[in-house]
Amino acid sequence: MFQYAVRRILQSIPILLVVLTLVFVVVRILPGDPAVAFLGDYASKESVQTLREKMGLNIPLWLQYFRFLGDLCKGNLGKSITGYPVASQVFKALPYTLELTLSAISIGYLLGIPLGISAAVRRNSLIDYFNRVFSLLGLSIPAFYLGILLMFLFSIKFKLFPVVGGGDLSSLTSNLRHLFLPALSLGLIMTAYVTRMTRSSLLNILREDYVRTARSKGITERVVLFKHALRNALIPIVALGGVYAIVLIGSSVMTEIVFSRPGLGSLMVGAIKQRDYTTLQSVMVIYSVIVVILNLLTDLVYGFIDPRIQYK
Amino acid sequence: MRKKSYLYVIWIILIGVFVSFSIVGAAEKLAKEQVLTIAFDVGDAKTFEPHRAAATGDRPIADMVFNGLVRYPPGNQVAVEPDLAKSWKVSKDGKAWTFELRKGVYFHPFPGYPNGYELTSEDVVYSLKRAANPDHSSYAGEYSGLTFETVDPYTVKITIEKPVSETLFLAKVASYAGGFIVSKKAIEEKGVEWFKMNPIGTGPFIFKSYEPRQKTVLVPNRKYFRGAPILKEVVIRYMPSVSSREMGLQTGELQIIEGLKEDKWIEKIAAFPDVRVKAFGPCETQMLHFNMNKEPFNDIRVRKAVSYAISREEVAAFMGKGLAVPIHSPAQAPPAPGALTKEEALKADVVYEDNIAEAKKLLAEAGHPNGFKTEVIISEMESSYKKPMIAIQAQLKKVGIDMALKVVDHSSFHSLIREDASPIVYYASWRPNVDVFLTRFYHSDSVIKKGKKPDTNFSHYGMVDANGDGKIDSIDELIEKARWELDAKKQMALWREAQIKLLKDVAMVPIIRLKYAFPMKASVDLGNPLDFSWATYAPQITEKTRILAK
Repeated sequence: MFQYAVRRILQSIPILLVVLTLVFVVVRILPGDPAVAFLGDYASKESVQTLREKMGLNIPLWLQYFRFLGDLCKGNLGKSITGYPVASQVFKALPYTLELTLSAISIGYLLGIPLGISAAVRRNSLIDYFNRVFSLLGLSIPAFYLGILLMFLFSIKFKLFPVVGGGDLSSLTSNLRHLFLPALSLGLIMTAYVTRMTRSSLLNILREDYVRTARSKGITERVVLFKHALRNALIPIVALGGVYAIVLIGSSVMTEIVFSRPGLGSLMVGAIKQRDYTTLQSVMVIYSVIVVILNLLTDLVYGFIDPRIQYK
Repeated sequence: MRKKSYLYVIWIILIGVFVSFSIVGAAEKLAKEQVLTIAFDVGDAKTFEPHRAAATGDRPIADMVFNGLVRYPPGNQVAVEPDLAKSWKVSKDGKAWTFELRKGVYFHPFPGYPNGYELTSEDVVYSLKRAANPDHSSYAGEYSGLTFETVDPYTVKITIEKPVSETLFLAKVASYAGGFIVSKKAIEEKGVEWFKMNPIGTGPFIFKSYEPRQKTVLVPNRKYFRGAPILKEVVIRYMPSVSSREMGLQTGELQIIEGLKEDKWIEKIAAFPDVRVKAFGPCETQMLHFNMNKEPFNDIRVRKAVSYAISREEVAAFMGKGLAVPIHSPAQAPPAPGALTKEEALKADVVYEDNIAEAKKLLAEAGHPNGFKTEVIISEMESSYKKPMIAIQAQLKKVGIDMALKVVDHSSFHSLIREDASPIVYYASWRPNVDVFLTRFYHSDSVIKKGKKPDTNFSHYGMVDANGDGKIDSIDELIEKARWELDAKKQMALWREAQIKLLKDVAMVPIIRLKYAFPMKASVDLGNPLDFSWATYAPQITEKTRILAK
């Protein structure tokens, strides 16, 4: 397994290189001049030219590309357009995005699995219909819109939670109060995925011969469900956690904007607005690395939970 | 009996006085928490360097942290009053300006200077030289031909190669753009990079911290020479989502927010309890510039027809009457000194508007009896570009002009219009005075691509025969003559003459000026009338700003 992990990590390097090249190209084909975007249309031509030189935009693209790769290899993410070190911004933002994503995944599993089980066990009952409608809604409503609805309900109507910022990471209460609504809005979307997946996976398993055998042996329904059926039904659900997490990271960008959370999503959108190439590149690189790691973890976890999988 | 009546009267008066004082006292009572949070529609701060600060979220910070030699009183666009300089005088030839500095003005504390240090002429000279250096300033061009020297620790002398009027000269040393005075010692001892993230000035608020993409926090400068600020903290938040800003205002987490420039939205917000909205300037002046280098707009009859087809009043109504005001000046909009008023334009007979029959007649004369098709590049930005152009598009349709709008993102728009790619350029901008406006939009040096210093002369005025008399039409001479004219009245007259000539030649159609609106909690007392803000895009927060108890 260790060898497999090492091999997968080595395989990730060319993938990352392709991603980095794409990031570099995409950032540069964005319309607009970063120097003009920074200085505004009132700035003189000389000032714009001076800033372009300072930002290294006057040198050939290929040289900019190799500089970018070289700096990245040295762990140097550069400085943002404001002069603030990008690495420091990324490391400040990362915990906010991670806590949001992890909380959402936790909410998704904690709510989704019981809901999925109840829907599968009571198929075509009122609970099942409710769960199916809930899943459909969850899959249809964008997380940011759900976020706005939750803000309206919990913050404006009931005045329970704040709507601005990410809170103080060193204060548990402040952090949790700021985390609750964004985590819930993303978590409910995740819940919809997990509910649907749990229901269909469990329904398939409950039709298996070994489940029928267990029932015919007189084992109680509870034991059949939790000991025999659910364990197997959970394999694809848990294994797909990585994929869901990647989807959630995408949705977290807008959620962070709506809740003004200081995460990677806000960092990225701010950088796009300012044509801040350095920050934008770095954030996209971090996102890419996270996705590659999550894919790797998914593969490894799959082997853990399903002994039939062999690492070769 | 009479004595008793007197006593009653005295009692009634005393009670009245007591009640009045109680009411006034209650109204003026300060809220416990004097923390003002203002949220902008931006992703992040761009810069804290005052001579670079031009963006919505940056300028208010420069305005709070720094001072100039003179200032425009908060809320006032026209008047000038002393700021760091307590007085000034100009030599007879108008070339030497001498400023006497206030004594006892201290810079904000920074490492090595826990109590700050006293401002001297060296800081002023250093700052103005910095403003003249394109490496550190976006406004360097404004300071060419100026030399700065210290006479003594409290006296600064500025010499100008060619004298200009007081209006134009004082604008260079006012607390705006390049006129901000920075701490020489902070930059020299801590370094330029340090200063970029730690602006040190003399203003009412001290820069405390910055969290990228989140917020900047300012705290009061207790030693501020106009008196210590009432607010205990000012938090600038960067929040690009309008719904989040709206909700933050409703929950009370935010006291002032950047709003949308849309009447309907403002009406909705103004209906929230404890919220007030006031539209204020400086306004964006929105104009439709004809590219006289391209057919059919090289024909004055076509341009005049377009002008006649447009109704400014209708555009203003479409944008929202509370925010948009029709304009008739091709430079700054009134009340800016020297900007042409509607009455002046009418008197000069250069108002061509709202006359479909005349527009059709002119189009027929120009060989377009059925109108024509044209494609115009426009920015995606709603209120400043796209929305007014949609109104104009509908108006032009009435005379047979089929104007297709090619909507592009804002950065691309700026690039494309400077590449001469659009036959019409709809442009929204604000420039500090008429001279800057005329120079940058109509001087031949500023013609896009072809001028000596290509800028925003989209019409090509000064390089083309605008009125069809076979001669190149230009206002270069008038602009320059006005710039060096020391008599303010004569200067204004020259500016007006230039504007009338532009309107006669229909180089552009002035459309509207659009105000800004920042909804705020009713408890916020800015301490200034907020008719105009030199923080440019946001209300000015000063030492007098306070939050009143509900």
